[in-house]
Amino acid sequence: MLVSDLVTEAPSDDVREVVGEARDRTRFEEEALELSDQVYRVARRIAGSREDAEDLVQETYVRAFRNWRSYEPGTNLRAWLLRILTNLNIDRGRRSQRAPDTQSLEESDYFLYGKLDDQSESDVEKLVGQLSQDSIVDALAAVPHDFRDVVVLVDLSDFSYADAARILDIPIGTVMSRLHRGRRVLKQQLASTEVVA
Amino acid sequence: MTTRPDCSKCEELLQPFLDRSLTAEERATVQHHIENCSACARCYKLEEVLWKHVRNCCDQQAGLEFASSELKQKLSDLRTPLV
Repeated sequence: MLVSDLVTEAPSDDVREVVGEARDRTRFEEEALELSDQVYRVARRIAGSREDAEDLVQETYVRAFRNWRSYEPGTNLRAWLLRILTNLNIDRGRRSQRAPDTQSLEESDYFLYGKLDDQSESDVEKLVGQLSQDSIVDALAAVPHDFRDVVVLVDLSDFSYADAARILDIPIGTVMSRLHRGRRVLKQQLASTEVVA
Repeated sequence: MTTRPDCSKCEELLQPFLDRSLTAEERATVQHHIENCSACARCYKLEEVLWKHVRNCCDQQAGLEFASSELKQKLSDLRTPLV
């Protein structure tokens, strides 16, 4: 049966309700599908491999379509979808990687800065410019999930602390501490790449 | 590197600086210090340039990345049929 078949000359309240709901759901599904590239990009950063990212996106949409009624129209649908995605990622137990200990993080800071000791400010740009796109993408992939999620959302996807906190369901203070830590881990990864090391 | 108290303070303000969450007063403190301390000036410069570069590289890579048409078809198939 098509929706149009349900619209008779004098629709009963029940029919009107069914049609209205079908229309709302259709609109929701269309809007959600339009965001699939954006959701996929975040998934790719968070999940790492293409395959994992695709699985995660599919699961996200299964859950989103099932729970579409809990989405409040007019609010940020991208953030709503990404919240499902990050929660699924937690559920899938992809957070077993351990963060490097603070000591080695401090060392990497000083290592990078140490490279600069004899250089002028303008050489800084040259040094950074030597880091290739691949090495940066690899370094980001090597950052543990808890920290990477926050870096991806705040530094790379322009979500505010408050949005990131809502998406990840963690306090704003935790967003900030994970962001700062995530940046350091990323720097550590970069410091260990060939060009800078 | 952070042997002087001014340098410690300056390092403490580095992350909030990157977050653009410094108060005007704190910004002035940083500005004044890095004008007189080349080591801290380089640290700030490094962070600023590094994060801009990371951001650009990730944007460039993301620009090339789209959900595959197979994935999009699968997602479309998940839609509720109108029956």
